[in-house]
Amino acid sequence: MAHLIRHKISNKISSAASGASDRSRAGLSGVFARLGFQAATDDEAVGFADCDDLDLDHRHGLRLDVLGAEDGGDSRYQRDAAARRASAGSAGSCVELEAQDKPKITAWEAGWNVTNAIQGMFVLSLPYAILHGGYLGLFLIIFAAAVCCYTGKILIACLYEENEDGELVRVRDSYVDVANACCAPRFPALGGRLVNVAQTIELVMTCILYVVVSGNLMRTSFPALPVSQEAWSVVAAAALLPCAFLRSLKAVSRFSLLCTLAHFAITALVVAYCLSRAHDWAWDKVKFYIDVKKFPISIGIVVFSYTSQIFLPSLEGNMQRPADFGCMMDWTHVAACVLKGLFALVAYLTWADATKEVITDNLPGGFRPVVNLFLVAKALLSYPLPFFAAAEVLEKSLFRDGDGDGPCPGCYAPGGRLKPWGLGLRVGLVVFTLLMAVFVPHFALLMGLTGSLTGAGLCFLLPSLFHLRLLWRKLQWHHVFFDVAIFIIGGVCSVSGFVHSVEGLVEAFRYDVED
Amino acid sequence: MRRAPPRVYFYWGAGSDAGARTAASAARSTERPGEGGRGGGTVGGWWWWGGGGGGGGSRCSAAVGTAGLELWPNPGLLKEFPRGRRDADATSRAPGSAASAVTPDLHTHTHTHTHTHTHAHAPLPSSRSFLHFHAMQVRTVLCLLSALARVSVSEQEGENLSGLSPNPEKDIFVVRENGTTCLMAEFAVRFLIPYDVLALNRIDLITEQATLSLPRGAEVTGRCASAEAELQATWQNGAYTLRIFFVKETRSVEKKDGRQQEAELWKISKVQLVYDTSETTHFINAYNPGKHTASSHRLSAFATPAGRSYVCAATQTLTLISSDHQKGVTVSVSETRLQPFDITSDFVFSEAYKCITDQREQLEETLPLILGLILGLIIVTTLTIYHFHLKLTAQQPQLPRDRSLYKNM
Repeated sequence: MAHLIRHKISNKISSAASGASDRSRAGLSGVFARLGFQAATDDEAVGFADCDDLDLDHRHGLRLDVLGAEDGGDSRYQRDAAARRASAGSAGSCVELEAQDKPKITAWEAGWNVTNAIQGMFVLSLPYAILHGGYLGLFLIIFAAAVCCYTGKILIACLYEENEDGELVRVRDSYVDVANACCAPRFPALGGRLVNVAQTIELVMTCILYVVVSGNLMRTSFPALPVSQEAWSVVAAAALLPCAFLRSLKAVSRFSLLCTLAHFAITALVVAYCLSRAHDWAWDKVKFYIDVKKFPISIGIVVFSYTSQIFLPSLEGNMQRPADFGCMMDWTHVAACVLKGLFALVAYLTWADATKEVITDNLPGGFRPVVNLFLVAKALLSYPLPFFAAAEVLEKSLFRDGDGDGPCPGCYAPGGRLKPWGLGLRVGLVVFTLLMAVFVPHFALLMGLTGSLTGAGLCFLLPSLFHLRLLWRKLQWHHVFFDVAIFIIGGVCSVSGFVHSVEGLVEAFRYDVED
Repeated sequence: MRRAPPRVYFYWGAGSDAGARTAASAARSTERPGEGGRGGGTVGGWWWWGGGGGGGGSRCSAAVGTAGLELWPNPGLLKEFPRGRRDADATSRAPGSAASAVTPDLHTHTHTHTHTHTHAHAPLPSSRSFLHFHAMQVRTVLCLLSALARVSVSEQEGENLSGLSPNPEKDIFVVRENGTTCLMAEFAVRFLIPYDVLALNRIDLITEQATLSLPRGAEVTGRCASAEAELQATWQNGAYTLRIFFVKETRSVEKKDGRQQEAELWKISKVQLVYDTSETTHFINAYNPGKHTASSHRLSAFATPAGRSYVCAATQTLTLISSDHQKGVTVSVSETRLQPFDITSDFVFSEAYKCITDQREQLEETLPLILGLILGLIIVTTLTIYHFHLKLTAQQPQLPRDRSLYKNM
């Protein structure tokens, strides 16, 4: 019992202490004096445990007045935001008390994470998109980069509110919070739940895709071994088990850095090979017209390869200097755009009409296993980011931790360490991705289906919608125009992607049945 | 694989014209009356075995009321056919009647076998009464046996129990001699034969490819000996003939401890295909039509230890060199089950010897399960270790114990 109360008190103290940092400094010392008095001894703490609740509500009530937030009464957001910004400018004692503090990431590390998300495995299908789209495909690569950069920034802008001093204060902490804020008056939890479900599906599907891709690539690299794709997937999942121990975004950033290096290596290898055949390039084959039947698929490949918005709120929240966020987004998207465009164009020029759906199939026999191995390394190193995000989302929504608010008791023991069954759940998530990778047929088509719904929604539709809804009064006319245009374009892409994926799936299943 | 109960009837119905052929062949056969009676009996036995099985079995199953289960024509054959996804259908279609002429010299007798797919109610004219009587008895026995077979080998019935393979190219060939089976072969075969066609400019020759397979109803002959065996199938009035030659030999194998061990094995030594390009259903506008022979050169395929049957579900390809300008004829066999020597009992394949591809496939299929189990063990071990690690290094709760931490206030 005392343990429980101690835990409760430490939580309250930490949240209150860090929450207090958001307020003006005037009331800080008084609050802390009160806190210090209350938590002096255990006996006193027992007595004051009940008082803490009232205090907390009072303090939150005060803070709400100060900030004048539109989402009245949702103290959860402030508490969330408060808990995370424990280290920012608060007293030293609060830092020690903050048991669940995680190290902050630099702008570079945030950049690696974003690059991991936007330069994914789909880059191998870009030459195929150019095959069917010609110059329009190239233009689309550039355009999609610009649009996604813009939507990322407006999503982060939705997290901030201006306080009475004119400063921008971070009042919302995650995508779910933003969605809840938008639906606040009538459906306070609906938006959050939808976004939660969409996020979870998207992240888990991405994880499963990486397992499937590694199994497939290993199988095609070593056809002589009697190891089937399923067996390779099991091996890949065994290699990915240590991801369950990931606790902070900093560790994930290291994996993302390695992943980006692997990606650069692959790009360099393929481009070098293509340059060696520069005399054969078919400049005249780049088309101006579009192949109307096949191009929508290419649109899907190009557009949905830039989806990183799911990770942005937590990335920005964990940055040491959030002001660098905009700069980081610009640079990563420019780099991605340039590399992808160059890669797609050069690869298409080398093989012209013979370009296959995955460009590595075009590579000559001796070269292919090397590139395949790099691709497998890239897939395995890309896995930690969506896995970490998915685990966080699930823990937050289903479990009652310091931050989360869910039906089940917390995953984290006091001291911030993962409880064994919390670890078991994370391991279970890895095993779940493995099982889905092995047993679900036509996974790529299924991914296209869900991607066109959840991916388009989370990347184009929702950010523009939330931006319009939350910051309507502050938007200039061109922002409104951009938002509406992006919403429409996103809707069109989503519908077309959905229709084509359904067609593809129906055909694939019919082929299976007939076989 | 699908069960195809209607197939039984289609099959039997469609092949009813073969009855006439049977009659003709029976008339042509060189059997002596005494032997003929026995041969006819054998004919009848086998034929009814299959026919009664096919027709009666389905009726039996209807009577017994099992849903969708058909009878094997031969419960004995049922035991031998391997289970599994690919081999789930044993195609023990009745190879048909055998009108055999037995001569004392075992090495030169020929057995004329015909594939007859006559309907159950169209018996051979040569031994009608005998067959009729035989039919009744065998039918009842079969009904009982079918019930028994279903009970006893219910596990091995697999998916297709109609006695027919859903693969239209798969066929079973049996060579019988002295009332016993001496050679059994079952496979699906497809031939790709290149032939010349005159081009539109009337000068050049273009090579076209004809695809054909062995139809059901081919005439099957064969010959068995102790060290050699031959299987011959002829169809379309002799336009095509396929001959497969088996040979048994002894090979000395070097064992690990240096001793020489004699191992007997059998293999296919030669495959020969005779085809006629003047036959218009497959060869369209062939240039210089005529009969050509395609043979294998120094072939040594399907090597199996003696006393066992060769089983391979995967497709294997052989190339034969044709007498028609040395063109390459491709023979693709799949779903094979061969046994040319040492058949112990009637229509029963001996112990199976799987080809390398099948062994690999089996390994490929079991490997994920093994790896999954290992992964599960690793997970359980890791969780246990973590649990105990956490217990042993449990931290004290981080409440400040004294007020010195608040000196910053």
